[in-house]
Amino acid sequence: MSSKTYCILFAFCTLSLFSAGQQPTQTDAKYGKIAVADFNINLNSLDSNADAVVIADVGSSQILGNSKGWFSLEFTRFRRVKILNKSGYDAANVEIYLYKDGTDEEQLNKVKAVTYNMENGKVSETRLDSRSGVYKDVLNSHEIVRKFTFPNVREGSIIEYEYTVTSDFLFNLQPWGFQREYPVLWSEYNLTCPEFLGYVFLTQGYQPFYLQDKKYRNARFHVADNYTSNRSESLDFDAQVADYRWVMRNVPALKEESFTSTINNHIAKISFQLSEYKYPLQTTKVMGTWPEVCDKLLKSDQFGADLNRNNGWMSDVVKPLINGVSSETEKAKNIFNYVRDNFTCTSYNRWNLDESLKNIFKKKKGSVAEINLLLTAMLKYADINADPVILSTRSHGYTYALYPVLDRFNYVICMVKADRKKIFLDASQPRLGFGRLTPDCYNGNARVVDMKATPLEFSADSLLEKKSTYVFITQNDKGEIVGKFTQTPGYYESHTIRERIKEKGKDDFFQTIRKAYGPGISELFNSKIDQLDSLETSVKIFYEFKMNQDSNDIIYVNPMMGEGYKQNPFKSAERFYPVEMPYVIDESYNFSLIIPGGYQIDELPKSEKVVIDEEGDGQFEYLIAESGGVISIRARILIKRTFFQQDEYEILREFFNRIVKKQSEQIVLKKKS
Amino acid sequence: MKKPCLLIYLIIFFDSLSFAGDGDYAVSKIPQVLLKNADAVVRLQEVRFQVNNTREATEWNHYVITIMKESGETSSGFADYYDKMRDILSVEGILYDSNGRIIKKMKSKDMEDISGVDDNSLMDDSRVKRHNFYYKAYPYTIEYTEVIRYRNTLFFPAWMPQNDEKISVEFSQFSMICPEEYKFRFRSFNYPGEPEVSTDKGKVVTRWSVHDLPAFLEEPNSPYQNEITPCIYFAPTDFQVDNYSGNMNSWQDFGRFVYALKQGRDVLPDNVKTKVHQLSDGITDIKKKIQILYEYMQKHTRYVSIQLGIGGWQPFDATYVANKGYGDCKALTNYMYSILKEAGIPSFYTLVKAGRNSRPILDDFPSQQFNHVILSVPVSGDTVWLECTSQTLPSGYLSDFTCNRKALLINENESKLIHTPVYGLNENTMIRKVSAVLDENETLKVKSVTDYRAMQEDKLHQMIHYLSKEKIKQNLREQLDFGTYEVNSFDYTEELSSLPVMQETLDLTVSNYASATGKRLFIMPNIMTRSSRKFGMNEERKYDIVFHAEYRDIDSAEILIPDGYKAESVPRPVTIESKFGKYSNSVILEGNKIVYYRLVEQYSGRFPAKEYTDAVRFYDNIYQADRSKVVLVKNNSSDQKSF
Repeated sequence: MSSKTYCILFAFCTLSLFSAGQQPTQTDAKYGKIAVADFNINLNSLDSNADAVVIADVGSSQILGNSKGWFSLEFTRFRRVKILNKSGYDAANVEIYLYKDGTDEEQLNKVKAVTYNMENGKVSETRLDSRSGVYKDVLNSHEIVRKFTFPNVREGSIIEYEYTVTSDFLFNLQPWGFQREYPVLWSEYNLTCPEFLGYVFLTQGYQPFYLQDKKYRNARFHVADNYTSNRSESLDFDAQVADYRWVMRNVPALKEESFTSTINNHIAKISFQLSEYKYPLQTTKVMGTWPEVCDKLLKSDQFGADLNRNNGWMSDVVKPLINGVSSETEKAKNIFNYVRDNFTCTSYNRWNLDESLKNIFKKKKGSVAEINLLLTAMLKYADINADPVILSTRSHGYTYALYPVLDRFNYVICMVKADRKKIFLDASQPRLGFGRLTPDCYNGNARVVDMKATPLEFSADSLLEKKSTYVFITQNDKGEIVGKFTQTPGYYESHTIRERIKEKGKDDFFQTIRKAYGPGISELFNSKIDQLDSLETSVKIFYEFKMNQDSNDIIYVNPMMGEGYKQNPFKSAERFYPVEMPYVIDESYNFSLIIPGGYQIDELPKSEKVVIDEEGDGQFEYLIAESGGVISIRARILIKRTFFQQDEYEILREFFNRIVKKQSEQIVLKKKS
Repeated sequence: MKKPCLLIYLIIFFDSLSFAGDGDYAVSKIPQVLLKNADAVVRLQEVRFQVNNTREATEWNHYVITIMKESGETSSGFADYYDKMRDILSVEGILYDSNGRIIKKMKSKDMEDISGVDDNSLMDDSRVKRHNFYYKAYPYTIEYTEVIRYRNTLFFPAWMPQNDEKISVEFSQFSMICPEEYKFRFRSFNYPGEPEVSTDKGKVVTRWSVHDLPAFLEEPNSPYQNEITPCIYFAPTDFQVDNYSGNMNSWQDFGRFVYALKQGRDVLPDNVKTKVHQLSDGITDIKKKIQILYEYMQKHTRYVSIQLGIGGWQPFDATYVANKGYGDCKALTNYMYSILKEAGIPSFYTLVKAGRNSRPILDDFPSQQFNHVILSVPVSGDTVWLECTSQTLPSGYLSDFTCNRKALLINENESKLIHTPVYGLNENTMIRKVSAVLDENETLKVKSVTDYRAMQEDKLHQMIHYLSKEKIKQNLREQLDFGTYEVNSFDYTEELSSLPVMQETLDLTVSNYASATGKRLFIMPNIMTRSSRKFGMNEERKYDIVFHAEYRDIDSAEILIPDGYKAESVPRPVTIESKFGKYSNSVILEGNKIVYYRLVEQYSGRFPAKEYTDAVRFYDNIYQADRSKVVLVKNNSSDQKSF
């Protein structure tokens, strides 16, 4: 909320600035109007590394009466781009995505495009042949992409295009991204919205608006119906409309960084959600309160309607899974395992059903929503208390706790209450255990779709990835130096290992470990991996190894034995966005070495402790001791929160730098003289 | 069309009956030897390819595959493309359980139909049909029967019954069915014996079959697939595409067809003609002339691929390219050809099978084996090669995309195979000079200057021309093999010539490059060029070992270390020579300076499998030598205990 106030205040200031006179209130760029001077813009102030720069990007949406008895959206866009070098040629390939549902599809019209080049001090232009040069590729039953490319593109060309998209899908009011892969000098979005249609406006990002404006006026609407009756009927009426305008100037290009859940959270963007129809239309809430939305979802064929039906068709499968099982948790587990192991998830980006649960059941495949709703239905059929939960994954972006904006959600899981415990289930992920969710689900707020619309919180800080490693090195009776390695990786690392072993086998897994060791290790044997099929817990890795012994007087041993950080995970020296890690970390490493006969310690790394802040949100401890001919090391890395601000980045990077340094240190043993 | 279809179905049905006994695909019937290493077992595959006439052919493809476990899923579904030249007439699918009992049949509405437009294309007309039963109770069996109609006879399918590792084959058969008067051609690999030939109602049926092929495992650096499993390539004699016909009895014949497709498409608009003369008239050095015109073409065009119908084979004409400023490889090559022609320089449209280390064409088997076009320009006994889809390559240089292979030069009646430039040990070099200073805090300041030449330059060429400076900086910040480091500055300058050289200058600060423990300092003198090649030790090698590209790396480095240290251990110089290459290094401590030298030569060639352990040892030794460390001890502390 506070950001909104900020924006309005900001608009106020800037507006008063213009009245004083120097700053432009419009972009000079207009389709078809080009001058030699337009080629001489100075871009260096914005981004000297850019491959192309967007001189102007102006979009407008309005809502008009149509001839189908209702309203349509009309979106027009004008964009002018200067191509600075060959890497910027990509900007000359334009793709426009359109939505389709049955026979009703969004229409692309009035495509115009032209390339301008400077030739002998004059501007030459080459137009796109929009009749033959705009291709149509039907991607699937809901998506169409229209494409074209500009003629005569060279380094230094200015390209511009304009088009209109007409849509009958009122929910699809085009959002506007002010920030994209190229820097933008002027990005503007206009929206004309009649007061009888209510949309919620959602803004995000760190870039300030340069201009922001809203004006009311009266407009006339003409709605005709040429379809439902033989003679066409039509209706004309006046209604108040609001003209909104948002402008940003000199917006830098987006930058991708590691440890960012999704760049989508950081783009300067405005989007819209249809919330209600008002007078003179029949007043209807499209977006209600959370309980209203959940109630609707539960009754909708595209979500919960099947959950409370009789669903007798599943009895042949469900009954054998629960017969003779008394504990509710065990019943739930049997059903969960069945769904996970017999269904294939074909899309992890869906919160609603595209088909009936019965069809999903037959086809053995579905989206994450379909699989977990089917799971919920099967659990309910077995009289287990189960409800669907909707959420947005981290890679999809933040959601709003307050607004029931369903577009912001992309994932469905299932909540079970069994034996007085709450258990969260996701049967769409192969090899994910009962009661486990992927880190991608831990993205803050979520909602149980029940009558109360119970809010939930999945915080990444609550997810712990705990790993422990034990290494024991000694000399055997043959005088060889041998070691034992035992490790319990974290749950998610175990999940990755399971995936790998499923694909490539155990041999390959240990082969890779063997290869990763430097020349210090000559042999790996007695290797095994336990708990591979106990999907609820971590795996356990064991192996023994033999060390290479040069007949030298000095033995150098890196006690980390290939574990630990060889590289700093925070590579870049700069940071633009906050750091978001998937979970908190607790990694412990225990090492002991019995000093081989005839040798003595010449040098040991020193004990060390590093903390990231006063709260100890990041801690690294490295304790080393020698007693009775045994060198032992206990090392531990703890990271207790997942979110770090940009200004904490340098500390975080230095923290890992210290870890990398410490873990590279060696033990030196010398032959007794 | 109806009648032959019906007939063929009967035959298939009969065949499967006779083969699988009571029509049962029970897993228990798979011979034990076929289960070893098998993620999937091809129970039965029968492909019948019938040339109806020179315009059209029909293919029936019937296959039954048992998916043994999850990792065999890649064989579990149906996916095939169609376009203006190829229709999928019908597909049927059946799912069986492990006992060979039918679980269900595919419904046509379950078939997905999606765009097949290639990622590199702006537009083409290909679409994909795909289906999967999404069954997960392993093992299970799928059966599909597909009928395809080809509206051309330019390509015949190849038969490779075992096309991937971890797949065994119980029975597979390919039949070529032709009218009696029609001759097809084939080339077989690893197929023992001769095909069976019979005549059926005026058609000649030629049939190959294999049975009981156990699954094999892929090995790194193996020969190409067709050299290790049975494989038969087919090609037409007379063929037709759209309204163009030809025959493939010889490369000359095939060349005549390609020539006809592009004939008369070399007319330039007047403004370009004028420009050509403006740029090149009066220049006497032909190579210079070519270079100027090539650079003009590069500056005024870019690669955009639009492949629709015959456009997949026929270039857009030169006027189109001149007006639009873009085209695909065919169009751009033809455009460049037209420009050179205008300047009075004859050149040749040349077909090539592009791709880094791609399988060589079968040079004694004239057929459509190509996927790319380049231009060759003979200049007094020499040839200037032009890659016309690149806006950045220097005139006369072909990158690893098309070098070191045979290509088909198209000339009206004298088309012939020629060899593209060979870049070897002496061309593909990397010469690096590093000067570095290690300070008291174990931080290393590094200045490196590296010259990458020919194929060693290719990746960097792509990088500097197709990535933004921002992205290059980001890559450099993330991809170097150091714990924590900063890129203070970087620079790339390219010397454009027929053997281009990229000079890279890096200025880096590496934190804790040396690791210090008490009085000792461990430092790896090989700062930037460490080999990562390692072969698995315990494997029993089955196939020959193949190395494609040759190269030579020479590194020299000087590292200044803080005062007051003396050497405890300095790696001994290493020299290794083998059939696969050569390696040597040396480390010398001169006062407070470490002087490092390293040489690697990689040879190309094919080596027998029994030499595998030599290869393992060779690369392991290099790996180890590249990571050896200098151990230094503080001068006056050698007697102190550190704890």
